[in-house]
Amino acid sequence: MENIVEELQRPVRLDDSFERRLMVRVRRLHAERRKRRGWLGAAMSIAQRPAWATALAAGLVAVVTFGVIRVRQGEHVVAANGLEPVNFVLVAPAAKSVKVVGDFNNWGLNDSALVATNNQGVWSVTAPVKAGVHRYAFVVNDKQWVADPRAPRSAGDDFGMPSSALVVEDSTK
Amino acid sequence: MKSTRGLILLVALGSAASASAQDPRISKPHLDAASSVIVNALVDSAKARGLPYTALEDRVNEGIAKGADGPHIVAVVRNLYTEMVIVRTWLGAMASADELKAAASAMQAGVPPVELGKMKQKSLLRSLVTPFTVAADLISRGVPVGTAVNAVKSLVGAGAKDKDINDFQRNVKEDIQQGAPPAAAAEARAKTSGKPEEKGKPDSIDQN
Repeated sequence: MENIVEELQRPVRLDDSFERRLMVRVRRLHAERRKRRGWLGAAMSIAQRPAWATALAAGLVAVVTFGVIRVRQGEHVVAANGLEPVNFVLVAPAAKSVKVVGDFNNWGLNDSALVATNNQGVWSVTAPVKAGVHRYAFVVNDKQWVADPRAPRSAGDDFGMPSSALVVEDSTK
Repeated sequence: MKSTRGLILLVALGSAASASAQDPRISKPHLDAASSVIVNALVDSAKARGLPYTALEDRVNEGIAKGADGPHIVAVVRNLYTEMVIVRTWLGAMASADELKAAASAMQAGVPPVELGKMKQKSLLRSLVTPFTVAADLISRGVPVGTAVNAVKSLVGAGAKDKDINDFQRNVKEDIQQGAPPAAAAEARAKTSGKPEEKGKPDSIDQN
């Protein structure tokens, strides 16, 4: 179980040149298709490669909307522009639901809690979090506050319900 | 004329109903008005002093999410504000916003601000967010303040990276969970953690 948790918590990073290499390849593909089929033909080819087109579209939407690039690799999310992927993991075999709330999502107010998914009692969710120091907690079954047993405890008054400390390092520095 | 007024009223009511349906905060608990006034004044003051005021807002959200009442939230925010003012004095202008937040947490745990200032003076170019956070954690687990501070200071002084300091914290936590006295666990682990010269044994590789 510990090994599974360790693996889930291990972030997968892409090197800094990933975005540049991706865009070079996209432009090259685009140019080749335009030469071969013209603009209309190139547009049709997107329908023939739905996975590729979906990933590209999602990436472009993310860039425009959030200013962040997120690339899914299995269970890992790689983020840039000041946001870092963080895996939150809680082993809770008896839980019916697990959510993550903290400084990074306004403590779940306005329905902003991260909802973890269950894999044989190991609940996990990965989300981009701004580099810096944060307080957070798990909420089990929408009522029980649980500190992350693998993280440092947060100091100070926690309003009678435990919180953990999270230090997210900026991978670009 | 009457029908025009009626239409305007209808549109206004419709807009209000629509806004109420779209804004999920309406159904969420709020900070009471009196507490809001005090919290807003503290946030404004923090902004004016160049302190990381979002830390205060985060504590308000944490309190609301945990169902705390207004006076309790105000007390927590006021304490955090005061601690950030104090630690900024000791840490100086080189300290980052995150260091101030982490230092305030360490101070809440019991670390004297003078010790936080000494650590920063010796590590002006290094971020002390993780060391401060780990010191606070150790104290919360029963490690005496002096032992926790000395352990973290020795690791930072020996050039330990954040990862080493996190490993140190994890090891101490596990030792305590297995029954070791907190002070002894911290002292023992500090002697063996984060010593770069002990890692990898490159000499044996070079000799071949």
